[in-house]
Amino acid sequence: MEKVLLRNIDVPDSHTLAVYSSRGGYRPWQEVVKNIRPEQLIEEIKASGLRGRGGAGFPTGMKWGFVPKDSPKPKYMVCNADESEPGTFKDRLLIEKDPHAIIEGTLMAAYAIQSHTAFIYIRGELAFGANILERAVDEATQAGYIGKNILGSGYDVDLIVHRGAGAYICGEETALLSSLEGGRGWPKVKPPFPATHGLFGCPTVVNNVETLAALPWIIEHGAAAYAAMGTDKSKGTKLFSVSGHISKPGVYELEMGYPLMKFLEEDCGGVPNGRRLKGVIPGGGSMPVLRPDELEKVNLDYESVQAAGSLLGSGGVIVMDDGTCMVRAAWNLARFFAHESCGQCSPCREGCHWMEKIFHRIEQGEGRKGDLELILNVSGNIMGNTICPFGDAAAMPAAAFVRKYREEFEEHITQKRCTIRNGVME
Amino acid sequence: MDCWAGPLLQYSNTPIFRHLILMDPIKLTIDGKEVATTKGKTVIEAAAEIGIDIPHYCYHPKLSIAGNCRMCLVEIERMPKLQIACNMPVVEGMSVLTQSPKVLAIRKAVMEFLLVNHPLDCPICDQAGECWLQDYYMQHDLQGSRFQERKEHDRKREVFGPNVVFDGERCIKCTRCVRFFQEVTRTDELSVVNRGDHSTIALFPGTVLDNPLSGNVVDICPVGALTDRDFRFKVRVWYLQKTSSICPGCSTGCNVSVETYQNRIARFKPRINEAVNSHWLCDEGRYCFHDLTGGERLTTPMIRQEGGLVPTTWERALEAMLSGLRGAIPLAGILSGRNTNEEAFLFAKLMKKLSQDCALEVLYQERELSEVQKILMSPDRSPNFRGAREMGVSSNGGLEPLMRKLFDGHFSGAYVVGEDLMGINNDQDRIRQMLQKLSFLVVQDIRMTETAQLAHVVLPSTQFGEKEGTYTNRNGRVQKLNIATIAPEGALQDCEIFVRLLDAAGDKVSYSTPVEVFDALAKEVPAYHGLNYAAIGEQGIQLGGGEAKQQ
Ligand SMILES: Cc1cc2nc3c(=O)[nH]c(=O)nc-3n(C[C@H](O)[C@H](O)[C@H](O)COP(=O)(O)O)c2cc1C
Ligand code: SF4
Ligand code: SF4
Ligand code: SF4
Ligand code: FES
Repeated sequence: MEKVLLRNIDVPDSHTLAVYSSRGGYRPWQEVVKNIRPEQLIEEIKASGLRGRGGAGFPTGMKWGFVPKDSPKPKYMVCNADESEPGTFKDRLLIEKDPHAIIEGTLMAAYAIQSHTAFIYIRGELAFGANILERAVDEATQAGYIGKNILGSGYDVDLIVHRGAGAYICGEETALLSSLEGGRGWPKVKPPFPATHGLFGCPTVVNNVETLAALPWIIEHGAAAYAAMGTDKSKGTKLFSVSGHISKPGVYELEMGYPLMKFLEEDCGGVPNGRRLKGVIPGGGSMPVLRPDELEKVNLDYESVQAAGSLLGSGGVIVMDDGTCMVRAAWNLARFFAHESCGQCSPCREGCHWMEKIFHRIEQGEGRKGDLELILNVSGNIMGNTICPFGDAAAMPAAAFVRKYREEFEEHITQKRCTIRNGVME
Repeated sequence: MDCWAGPLLQYSNTPIFRHLILMDPIKLTIDGKEVATTKGKTVIEAAAEIGIDIPHYCYHPKLSIAGNCRMCLVEIERMPKLQIACNMPVVEGMSVLTQSPKVLAIRKAVMEFLLVNHPLDCPICDQAGECWLQDYYMQHDLQGSRFQERKEHDRKREVFGPNVVFDGERCIKCTRCVRFFQEVTRTDELSVVNRGDHSTIALFPGTVLDNPLSGNVVDICPVGALTDRDFRFKVRVWYLQKTSSICPGCSTGCNVSVETYQNRIARFKPRINEAVNSHWLCDEGRYCFHDLTGGERLTTPMIRQEGGLVPTTWERALEAMLSGLRGAIPLAGILSGRNTNEEAFLFAKLMKKLSQDCALEVLYQERELSEVQKILMSPDRSPNFRGAREMGVSSNGGLEPLMRKLFDGHFSGAYVVGEDLMGINNDQDRIRQMLQKLSFLVVQDIRMTETAQLAHVVLPSTQFGEKEGTYTNRNGRVQKLNIATIAPEGALQDCEIFVRLLDAAGDKVSYSTPVEVFDALAKEVPAYHGLNYAAIGEQGIQLGGGEAKQQ
């Protein structure tokens, strides 16, 4: 498979303009800004079948198409580099090793929607990456790829690297926009949607780092080349960040549709120390966990993972072996979501903490009869009833852990302690 | 990076803004009932139009949409997820269910969420009895909480400003208060701080919640998180008697509910009137009843004899005052701007009967208002100056020349109603000298004021809340005052005093109650032609505007 996203990262100094250019970097941007009309670019990306890599898998070209062309307001392009999903560290790799690909992609997206101001919103904790990005933006500006009348095309665009203060919720696109506006990182109620009422009430597109980083390759090789990879509905390649009980954790680029178990066992070296697999979260901490029996037929594409009862999400693959206490794992995630809930809407604000408290109690050996039903019911009351998808992101994994490892939870409640010893329940 | 829409941004999500853009007719059904409304409205607004009240906390018709409480979730045909009615635009042919099993279940769930960290200290909470948590609990929940964990704690009774105190544990984070200060007063004192279940409302460091409209957040806070420092712990709200009336604070004429307990005014609450005050009340008006009522009341007429004022009977007092004033021409008559149209009408009639050589005026003073004050307040403290003048209590040139003439010693008799002239400015010595020079002074008031102490005859009358009648506000809206408290024995209604004096002066009028007087003045005063008392209703009537401007 030809690498689309990780094509540069192993080259020394891949983050510099010199190395990026020597490998053909910014040629696609020159081509776009000089010879391709915005509508053509949108069509090209539609044809590539590229879907958003921020979690929801929304077709990128279609998203751009929602931006009104005749709006008198300025338009904004935002690259979402807030990556904070548990178990997800793919964007960080691109930011640190291939910042110019992100910049080039962001410029293309801005051009497609005819925005003259683009932002890269980067998570506060990624200070190292932010420094690299800022330097790369300076280099690209000096080279004339950013700024006024780019390469004589008459097109202007500014690119601003904005550091967030470090909040998971600021990765949610409307919270990101609130934060970028200088407000609290609170998601906005929809409608209206960002395509028409985004940043400062103006038409805005938010795309993930990985989504944007794929654009230069697509322009260089053509939509057909990209669409030739992957499955019928999930085209191209995707990054997976693998962590947990696995021999070779790290970021991998795979063609969409790659079999999950093959990936874990062959590419990632399987579960170490002779232990057995107990569960895998395939798409980052906010997605439902899958049991080994559910994993067998799963391929790494949107449809297949969904058919198995989870979601591909960000591609953060979290592997748990049989020594893992699933009660503790569930509590750990619940604690994350309780801590990160922005607190704006009542079901999520109150429900996430409620679930966390129950999980914690069970983990501490103070579980009660009825606790599990309660967690399922509370998570059900959160699901679908909140301002932003964070509510679902917190509720889905909680319910999945309880449903799929119910016996272990019950054991925890009746025995008043963890009974996992050497990979088996006592 | 500036955006042209910047200044408009805070409104772009308000229903009003959206109404301005789109007015196309739309039909939809809510719970099977057809609703004809206009494009741009939301489901909660359309439902209200046909009398369906979708439960809500964060939605307020005068504030932007926050969508955070989730109490208004409803089912919409062909939409898989429940939708919040407060932010859901109406669409042609849409079918909404507000009572389906799914909706009823989520209401219970939202109530349960809102009460997770709620202290439920209703027995010591001033909101109890008018609390939306209590009310919706009774209407939509009625079940025990399944929450058995430790509750999170927050600040109790933090003083936000002179009128408002905050209880963080009772707060449901609906952000109505925050939005009110962002969007209505634009003073931005409050914000949400912290995250998750530690979210709470806080003052910006170094600020105090003391803007002139601060008290309104107590009204719009649906729970006991913001309470009124003046009112709290004085009386349980279910003991209050509520009477529709008009705020006597200034000539804006805000519509109020006068709420009383044991014949005392306990508080004012605004009544909604889009032609006047919308949903609001200023702090000055809200608390003005303290100064305007109470104190040691006069309950018997007094007459000056050797050595001072002595009690007397009404007959003697009225007789003495008539002969006194008749012997002290030219006459000045000064009426309070808080007197009603009916009182002003009778007063003018009486004074003109006593002598053609008389000058009448309403006490009226203006002051500078700040931008926030201007949102609601008028620059005076004379709620009925316009009406009283229209009733004939006016002389050429207004109050200034009349006062100058008073100081110049032009008048020998004066009749001062409802105002303590000694209290109106700092020039007390000069006013005292001027009043002492009068050969005959009559004061009609509720308390023994410094002015009254100089009078030859003092008549005990009634205060705000004790009388009915009408005020005409600055913009010419005629509005009704009603009796909320009973006057002490011995004091007489101003109307009755004037009617008795007219009688005694030989001008026997056929009317005496405010209602009868109003119908009479509507015949005599051209601007009021065609009005009748009953038609004024709860929302008033616009002079000159006919019924069209009436709400
Ligand atoms: C709680 C939450 C956190 C999110 N965090 C991120 C993030 O860190 N990075 C990201 O690109 N998208 C994140 N998203 C998804 C964004 O809202 C948005 O869908 C995405 O940036 C769109 O880009 P795409 O179309 O390229 O996928 C998050 C969504 C939610 C609900
Ligand atoms: S769902 Fe959670 S994170 Fe999203 S707006 Fe509501 S409280 Fe905030
Ligand atoms: S806010 Fe309402 S429910 Fe809460 S303590 Fe006060 S009265 Fe009770
Ligand atoms: S103080 Fe009252 S109005 Fe303000 S957010 Fe809390 S509950 Fe809402
Ligand atoms: S009233 Fe609609 S969400 Fe609060």
